[in-house]
Amino acid sequence: MVDEPNSIRPSDPLGALLSSSNKADLLVLFHRNPGLIDTVEGIARRLGKKGSVIASDVSELAGASILQRKVVGKSEVYFLNREKDRESQKDIAEYITNLGGKR
Amino acid sequence: MSEASKTSNARVKTGIPEFDAMLRGGFMKGDAVMLAGSAGTGKTTLALQYLINGITTAGEGGIYLTFEQHPDQIYRDAKSFGWDLQKMEAEDKLRIVFTSPDLLMGEGDPEALLEEPIGAVNARRIVVDSLSHLSMFAKNDDIRQETYRVVNFFKLKGMSTLLIWESPQVLGQSFSISDVGLSFLVDAIVSLKFVEIDSSIRRAMVVLKMRGSDHDKSLREYEITQTGIKVRAPFKDYQGLMTGSPTRSSSERFVDLMTKAAKEK
Repeated sequence: MVDEPNSIRPSDPLGALLSSSNKADLLVLFHRNPGLIDTVEGIARRLGKKGSVIASDVSELAGASILQRKVVGKSEVYFLNREKDRESQKDIAEYITNLGGKR
Repeated sequence: MSEASKTSNARVKTGIPEFDAMLRGGFMKGDAVMLAGSAGTGKTTLALQYLINGITTAGEGGIYLTFEQHPDQIYRDAKSFGWDLQKMEAEDKLRIVFTSPDLLMGEGDPEALLEEPIGAVNARRIVVDSLSHLSMFAKNDDIRQETYRVVNFFKLKGMSTLLIWESPQVLGQSFSISDVGLSFLVDAIVSLKFVEIDSSIRRAMVVLKMRGSDHDKSLREYEITQTGIKVRAPFKDYQGLMTGSPTRSSSERFVDLMTKAAKEK
């Protein structure tokens, strides 16, 4: 199941993606380990944090379709949406290029 | 009928020629193999070599399922052998799946968890790193049943499975699969171990069990080189290698004595 995009817009991709340190940590974790598929608690463990600390950020990234979620057994798990991730990287690259052009 | 049973006599080569010779051509297709050894014996290296060989020489997609080790470390370590795992993932030949054991065991669901990666790479080989970690997440009474369920799922999907088992002891009688009663679940067992010879640590491998096939019974020395595992000649003239502290055989001691005596003359 893929959620509809919400607040993370291409017009300001960096600001939205990095709106919290937890989101930045999550993005780095999933970029370095694109095969990560786990519950919120499992993901938090990889970051040395508690699930309750990152739950809302995970949910926002899923809302923006950067993460996908599905049910495994009795658990809800999250994993990287590789296609959306490639698009986001492209948006960020364009954004940074445009910033350079405005200087 | 599963893919595995249709090709029951086919072999799955590891890509390590001398090791394949020990296995009389490779593992049996669709089998579950336990690869046991303590830290530093090269289990991950051998397992990756097995997956990479499947991809590059047999066109068989592979999955590396890890519970503890972060994939970015696996990418980095593999690069030191010249293996670009990220490129293989981008080409949909390999997936490194990083997850928690409880999503496979108990109330978990292997099919839901692995459906996407199995389909994406048309997986025919899977490495589970590690079975020891997986078994920790099952209740004591359920270890056999839960592990049996997971192993059978891989077989049903037609995948040849390599299950890594972390032995706690570095030297000595480190192989204790029977203690946890999991050896009956697997079709073959390969043990990697350190042995102390002449005050230096060397590595030895042995095929302890291989259902439905003959195999080399000797302990073979192996090395971890810049390009992966290389299996050398069998250890000769030593007894008690499985204990980790072998002694020279009487014939070898006799030769030593004669050589020493000749030098003294």
